[in-house]
Amino acid sequence: MSARNHEQWSSPPKLAEGEWVDSRIYSDQAIFEEENEKIFKHAWIPVCHESELKDAYAFRTMTIANEPVIVVRGKDMQVRAFLNVCPHRGNMIERRPSGNFKDGTPSGTPKRMTCMFHAWQFDMKGKCVYISRQEEGYQDRLCTADVGLRELKCEVYFGGFVWVCLDDNIEMTVEDWAAGALDCLAPSLNEEPLEVFHYHKAIIPCNYKLWHDTNCEFYHDFLHYHNRITGFNDAYFARKNSGFKNGHINVGSFEVQYDNYEGFHSREELSFPHLPPNHWYMIDMFPGVNFNLRGSALRCDLMTPLGPDKVMIEFRGLGLASDTPEERQTRIDHHNSIWGPFGRNLHEDLIAVTAQGSCMHPNAEKRNILQGRHENETIHDENGMRHYYHEWGRWLNRSPSNPDEEFDESLIAQSSGEQAAVQASA
Amino acid sequence: MAENHASIVEQVKGLIYQSCLYLDDHQWSDWLDLSADDYHYAVRAYSPEISADMEYMGGGLEYMRSLTQMLPKHNTDNSPLKRHCTVYKVDIADDGKSASAVSSFVVFQTMLDGINSHVDAGESRLFMIGRYNDKFEINGDGVKFTDREVRLETRRLDKGSHWPI
Ligand code: FES
Ligand SMILES: [Fe+2]
Repeated sequence: MSARNHEQWSSPPKLAEGEWVDSRIYSDQAIFEEENEKIFKHAWIPVCHESELKDAYAFRTMTIANEPVIVVRGKDMQVRAFLNVCPHRGNMIERRPSGNFKDGTPSGTPKRMTCMFHAWQFDMKGKCVYISRQEEGYQDRLCTADVGLRELKCEVYFGGFVWVCLDDNIEMTVEDWAAGALDCLAPSLNEEPLEVFHYHKAIIPCNYKLWHDTNCEFYHDFLHYHNRITGFNDAYFARKNSGFKNGHINVGSFEVQYDNYEGFHSREELSFPHLPPNHWYMIDMFPGVNFNLRGSALRCDLMTPLGPDKVMIEFRGLGLASDTPEERQTRIDHHNSIWGPFGRNLHEDLIAVTAQGSCMHPNAEKRNILQGRHENETIHDENGMRHYYHEWGRWLNRSPSNPDEEFDESLIAQSSGEQAAVQASA
Repeated sequence: MAENHASIVEQVKGLIYQSCLYLDDHQWSDWLDLSADDYHYAVRAYSPEISADMEYMGGGLEYMRSLTQMLPKHNTDNSPLKRHCTVYKVDIADDGKSASAVSSFVVFQTMLDGINSHVDAGESRLFMIGRYNDKFEINGDGVKFTDREVRLETRRLDKGSHWPI
C-alpha cells in the first residue's frame, strides 16, 4: 500500500493505544472550553516573575482561563493575587499591564487600588477601604468589610516565579504540584535572585497543545539547522526524557557545541550556578508551561489558550539579578540568537506550529497525530508527549485518540509501555 | 555649521532610503556595505509588562554578516517585508564629521507561505512600526552608518522573523 484512501487514512494506525491522538483535540470548541474549566482553572500557573514587581505597591495584570488577575506586592513585600474585578459592578480594576500604586490615579488615592468607575478603593491585601458616598447609598446595609476583593492562591516559588491558582481547594503546594519535575534546575535557579530581561508575546493560530508538544519533543530538531549542527552527537542522542506525576516532563542535558554554528560562541563563562558549561535542561509542565535553561540564559514560555485554534505565548528571558551590564548584554545576545523574536530557532518553531494549526480545522477529515516513537526514552522518543496526553485524558476523562470516549487508563498502561516511565518518576 | 550642510543632509537621507531598498530586497551584503567597520545594529523595545528596555537582536558588522549569510540554511517565513520610511530629522555635528537621524517606519508583510498560502498569499498586513535612530560618520569617502537602533513600537511579534528590520 502506498497512498491511502479515506478509510485507510482514518483507521487507527498500526501503533498501540496512546501512541497517537485525534487531531480534533486541537480544534474542537467544546473540548477547548472544557480544558479551561477542568484544567486551567485548577492548575498552578507561573503568571510572572517577582522581578517584575520589585517594589512595594508594584502590580502586574494578566488572565488565566479568561479571568482577569492582578498580582500586587504589599507594603510588607508579600506578593498576593486577586481577581482584577471590582466587587461593585464588575469593572476591571486595573487596566495597565504593570505599574505601581504608590502613585495616585485620576480617580484614586496613592497606595490604593482604585476602580476608576465609581472610585471604590482597596488596599494591597484586597480589603475594601473606601466606598464613595457609602452611607448615603448603602446606609448600614453594606459596608467595606462586605466587599473585599476575591483573593487567589499565590506562591512565589522556583527562582522567584509567581504562581497563581484559581482553585481555592487545590490541596497541593507548587512544590507538590511539580512533583520533582523542577528539581533538575532548582539548584541553578534558587542560588541567587533572578531578573527578567526579555518579554515578548506571540498570538499564533494554533491550539496551545501544539506548542506544548513542540516543547516536549526533540525529534523536531530536524527543523532547526542550529540544533543539528550544535547537537546531533552521541551525548545528544543519549539525553533522557522523563515523566513526572501530574503530566510534567524533563528533557535531560548534554553539552551543546555552540561554536559549531558560524558566528555563535560557547556560553561557558556565564553558566547559571551549578550548571555544567553549555548544558541545556528543559522542563515542560502541564498544562502549558516551559522552563528552558541553555547555559547562560533561562527561558520561560507561558501559554494562554484563547480559542481551540488560538494561543497566546508569553516568552520571558532571565539572567542573574547580580549581572554586570556586560554580563547582562552577553546573556541577552545568547538568548536572542536562538530564542528571541528574531532568533534562529523560535521563528522556525512558530512557523511549524502555525502550519500544523492550518491543517486542523474542526470539520477536517480525521487525522491521527502520531506520537509513537520508542527509543528507550531518549531524546527522539515521543514518551514526553505520551506522558502529557495520559494526564490530559485523566483530567478531561476523554480518550486523546477518540475524544468522544471515556479515558481508559488500563488500555494505555497495558499497551504503550508508558506506565513504566510514570512509575519510575512517581 | 558645516559649509555643505544641505548636501550632507541629502546624502544622509539618501543612505537611509538606500538601506531600506536593500533590506526590502534582501540584499544583505549591500546593506551592510553601507556601514563603517565599527557599525553596530540593534533592535530594541520598551516593555511596559516587565518595565524594562529590551534588546531583541543586535551585533556588530561581522555578526550581522554571518547571521545573514546563514539564512539559506534556515526554514523561514518567506512572506516579503516592505518598508515605508520617512526621515524626520537629520542633525550634523558642528565639525561636519558625524551626523544622526531619526526616521519613522512601518513594515508591511505580504503573505506568501506563513500560514495557509491558498487563502492568505497576496494579502498585505501591517507587520510592525517603529523608528530608526541612526548615526553616521562623514569623511572623504562620503557618509556611512556607524549605528542603527531599530526602536520597535510593536511588541506583539507573533511568528517573528529571521530578517533584520
Ligand atoms: S464598578 Fe468598580 S467602583 Fe463601580
Ligand atoms: Fe524547536
